[in-house]
Amino acid sequence: MPLWLELTLRIAAVVGAFLTLPLIVGQTEHKVMAHMQGRLGPMYAGGFHGWAQLIADGLKFVQKEDITPRAADRPVFRLAPVVALLPYLLVLLVIPLGPGDLVAQPLDIGLFFVLAVVGVGVVAVLMSAWASANKYSLLGGLRAAAQLLGYELPLVLSAASVAMAAGTLSLSGIVEAWQPWWLLWQAPAMAVFFVAGLAEIRRPPFDMPVADSELVFGYMTEYTGLRFAFFLLAEYVGIVVIAALTTVLFLGGWQGPFGDAHLGWLWTLLKVFAVAFVVIWLRVSYPRLREDQLQRLCWLVLVPVSLGQLVLTAAVRVAL
Amino acid sequence: MSEGGHGQGLVKGLAVTLKTMVRPAQTQQYPDVAPELPPRSRGVIALLEENCTVCMLCARECPDWCIYIDSHKEEVVVPGAARPRQRNVLDRFDIDFSLCMYCGICVEVCPFDALYWSPEFEYSEYDIRDLLHDKQHLGQWMATVPPPPAHDPHGEASKEETTAARRAAAPGAARGAPAGPAVRRERPARPAPEPGGAEA
Amino acid sequence: MTGADLLLLALGAVAVGAGLLVVTTRHLVRAGLYLVVCLAAVAGLYLVLTAELVAWVQVLIYVGAVVVLLLFAVMLTRAPIGASDDLDRPGWPAALVGGGAGLGLAVLLVDAFRWSTVELPEAGTAERLGAIVFGSWVLPFELLSVLLLAALIGAIVLSRPEIGASPEEERR
Repeated sequence: MPLWLELTLRIAAVVGAFLTLPLIVGQTEHKVMAHMQGRLGPMYAGGFHGWAQLIADGLKFVQKEDITPRAADRPVFRLAPVVALLPYLLVLLVIPLGPGDLVAQPLDIGLFFVLAVVGVGVVAVLMSAWASANKYSLLGGLRAAAQLLGYELPLVLSAASVAMAAGTLSLSGIVEAWQPWWLLWQAPAMAVFFVAGLAEIRRPPFDMPVADSELVFGYMTEYTGLRFAFFLLAEYVGIVVIAALTTVLFLGGWQGPFGDAHLGWLWTLLKVFAVAFVVIWLRVSYPRLREDQLQRLCWLVLVPVSLGQLVLTAAVRVAL
Repeated sequence: MSEGGHGQGLVKGLAVTLKTMVRPAQTQQYPDVAPELPPRSRGVIALLEENCTVCMLCARECPDWCIYIDSHKEEVVVPGAARPRQRNVLDRFDIDFSLCMYCGICVEVCPFDALYWSPEFEYSEYDIRDLLHDKQHLGQWMATVPPPPAHDPHGEASKEETTAARRAAAPGAARGAPAGPAVRRERPARPAPEPGGAEA
Repeated sequence: MTGADLLLLALGAVAVGAGLLVVTTRHLVRAGLYLVVCLAAVAGLYLVLTAELVAWVQVLIYVGAVVVLLLFAVMLTRAPIGASDDLDRPGWPAALVGGGAGLGLAVLLVDAFRWSTVELPEAGTAERLGAIVFGSWVLPFELLSVLLLAALIGAIVLSRPEIGASPEEERR
């Protein structure tokens, strides 16, 4: 296969995943959340149990007027949704789906790349918050910045723990080194990574930056139409990314009970959707944290736990 | 911070949502699936025009005055009677369902069973003025009124039956019974001032 | 002129241009955003020079954290949307110092290397970097860690005046 064809195929596959996986997760969220609340959720769009609801939503967003407030900083305001979406697209490039070459762009330091690029998302939040010329947006942006800065630390520390255990920064390498008993050994790191990841993509119960009962809709207040849809899409791609990272780092990625070589991609996808389900489940079950509780959880629970895990990992690595 | 207590609550929250998820949903698919209402649910008020004597009790008792009644007098010559009888003829009987609060007092007070509850509830309109149902409209609802429930075989016998039985048993005692004659005597007394009121 | 050279030139131009915009723009917050572009371009330079890890560290630390803190601080002040006309500090001394330093360094480097070519060292992978940092450079690395730790503790002490205060002062 010529290089350019392979490259095109890989990028097309990633774009395809980028466009379908978030929709599947979003539809699952609609349905799971509804049933957890004793409802049915969307039932009409598309005929069968409202499967096309998100497509209908997308069509609606496209038709809506694209409003930029008069007092807003136009170029920054318009650029922010794209900046919010792009990092997640880049992250999807390096997440291994299966063994061998089943990854769009194998990267020697994939883990580091992922953490660095996910961290860029906060710039988009600050851009949208400030450029909206709205005090609620600004407050949401400040909350988001404080939250993302704080939670990046436990996120990176817990990821560092598993990288240390595997002795590599490559995501495929980590999956290859993974063994079932790591589930026990790295459990605290997994919990910290997952919780910090939730906070990183601002999912409930960590959605103070958009807290609709306090801040209207936080930094997304002034957005309409397609740009707002971009922010929403970024949130759902974020779920996919965090679920995929948790899968790859802590749940053994493509390693399954049988047929790893051929069914690896299936195991990965199954695990990703299982984690995504937990993300939705947590959203339905827990109320939003208060701003001070959020910071307290981060600095007094997650950071010490992840530091302790680092020490434990280092000790076990040295002992083995 | 009591960690144990927190953890318990968190797990309980997850359990509740998971349990709810596997149970069937409460949602009723209303326009697609008709709701299962009790047979005597109060949907709309139906009018049996023939029973109405224009006594105005319903209009007077209605808490939000949403019943409008107009009528005129008609003389009915009864062959063999000393003088022609007077009869009220109903011209207009409207219930404004945009005001009605479905208390059912009108149905309760109607002495001649001219008003009934119908379980029909799908009569929303685009214009609020169309919620004023006239007597034709109210009469149409009569078709949807469920038949009265059968008499409970173990229950007390109906008043008509006991009275009839008593009269049949002791013809002399009937006059002394207060219930029947007392009402009879009062009833002619009530329309008496009405001619004056209607003419004024 | 290879593709890598072209990329280097382009990224360098972006970095310098964005840097110039940082200091010349009258929009306070946009200056911070231009700084993001500038630092990202520098990260791109590292990437072209095959120093992968350094590039992503640049993104993680500078774009993801330092600039965000900076923007955070700017937004806490009353940064207006649009140009702030009261930014009238004379720019020429800074231009002189910055331009002079840049020009001097450029002259120095150009004079030192002339047209001699240097082979690119092997790619700056995490493994190699780790070996170097914890091999020949372990002492500076540890010293830096201690310095950072001292700065951290200093920050905590400064931000919480009740630490180290005598009980009477604390009561006040």
